[in-house]
Amino acid sequence: MRKLIAFFRRFRVFLVFLILQIIALTTYTSVMSFPRTKFLNSANAFVGQLLTWERNVVKYLYLDEANIELQEKNIALENQLPHNFISIDQKTAIINDTIRMLSFERTNATVINSSHTFRNNYFTINAGTERGVQRKMGVVSNEGVVGIVYDVSKHYALVKSILTEDINISAYIEGINSFGIIKYNGENPKIVSLTGISNDIQIQLGSEVKTRGSGGYFPQGIAIGKIVSIEPIEGEPRWEIGVQLNQDMRSLRYVYVINNILQLELEELEKDIEQLQ
Amino acid sequence: MNIIVKNILRILILIFAQGLIFGQLPFGFGIHPMIYPLAIVLLPFDTRPVWLLIIAFFIGLSVDFFMNTFGLHASAAVFAAFLRPAIFRRFAPRDDYDLLKEPTASEWGYLWFTKVSASIILFHHFWFFILEYFKFSAWKEIITSTILSSLISLIIFILLQVFFFKKPKSI
Repeated sequence: MRKLIAFFRRFRVFLVFLILQIIALTTYTSVMSFPRTKFLNSANAFVGQLLTWERNVVKYLYLDEANIELQEKNIALENQLPHNFISIDQKTAIINDTIRMLSFERTNATVINSSHTFRNNYFTINAGTERGVQRKMGVVSNEGVVGIVYDVSKHYALVKSILTEDINISAYIEGINSFGIIKYNGENPKIVSLTGISNDIQIQLGSEVKTRGSGGYFPQGIAIGKIVSIEPIEGEPRWEIGVQLNQDMRSLRYVYVINNILQLELEELEKDIEQLQ
Repeated sequence: MNIIVKNILRILILIFAQGLIFGQLPFGFGIHPMIYPLAIVLLPFDTRPVWLLIIAFFIGLSVDFFMNTFGLHASAAVFAAFLRPAIFRRFAPRDDYDLLKEPTASEWGYLWFTKVSASIILFHHFWFFILEYFKFSAWKEIITSTILSSLISLIIFILLQVFFFKKPKSI
């Protein structure tokens, strides 16, 4: 017994080191599966408040950019208004459209903390459960897809950015319609890769990549980026495709959280797929 | 000022500076400067190694709160604190340290400070990026990130020493 105590006394520094490393690394690695790290992120109220103050100071530096972006969006929307269109056929009557049904709702939010230099990047937005944000909702900006909500608190939400290794957003190439999965390899925050496209498919540089809408996180056809490189993978019949993101993740400020009203229905229907296979 | 109060204040300032300023700067090229290891370097000489580890753990954890890294900074900070006694011993002056003085550049010379903090930064950053990439095939990124970030961190450390840790007037 005395020897045991002597042993612990002798190695106590190393033991404490070991224990602290184990605590730190288990919280870090448990992020990969859905975590119990409920409080260890910046959706936490205190840090969220501090970061909001910081953003309040910094946001005036970006007003110009934000204004231009909003103007462009406004123009695009205004062009779609009915009073901009002249009716060619004078005899048709206006029919109240009941064929279409609202499926995706958007909530606006501001990014208050973000990173892009890591291998796995997250950012925090100032909308939480109080404004209807929930886990696994898609997040887009004016330019394109930026991430998926990962965790929420009352006033803030933590978003898994598209610059995350296991983001796995399902996407298709405009014009060819073959689909693959978006991943991030941690090298360049402007480029993500589109994996899983067979190399017997002809692909052109500059084609647009859009969301496929599987899983119900995003509506179909939201832009992600443009193809900038196509290379064969050695030993595999697949292309390695580099996609330049439309949204520069290094200057992300204003985003929309997408709520799919029909999400439950979709999940209910698709939950049996695994058993059927 | 009381040495404990002084250290706590310094730790808090460095954590906030890391979370609100240095963590938010877009450097690119995989550069990610970290200044909070300075708080670990500047803890008093006679801090017990176990306390060193525990303090470092909480510093790292606080930075994790800001950066959404879930324990990565905590792990790297604990590793740096674990190595600190050995590194200090390695670079000790001939007649050993005067425990009453603080481990700053103005007390022990810029050469000593650069050597000590460069080794702590290097080990800290290397541990951090290895865990972040966690892939043998990414060794190029790990090495470039470590070297570039370490350089920037070291420069920031020295600048902080020049501006904020002036030599107290000798009587």
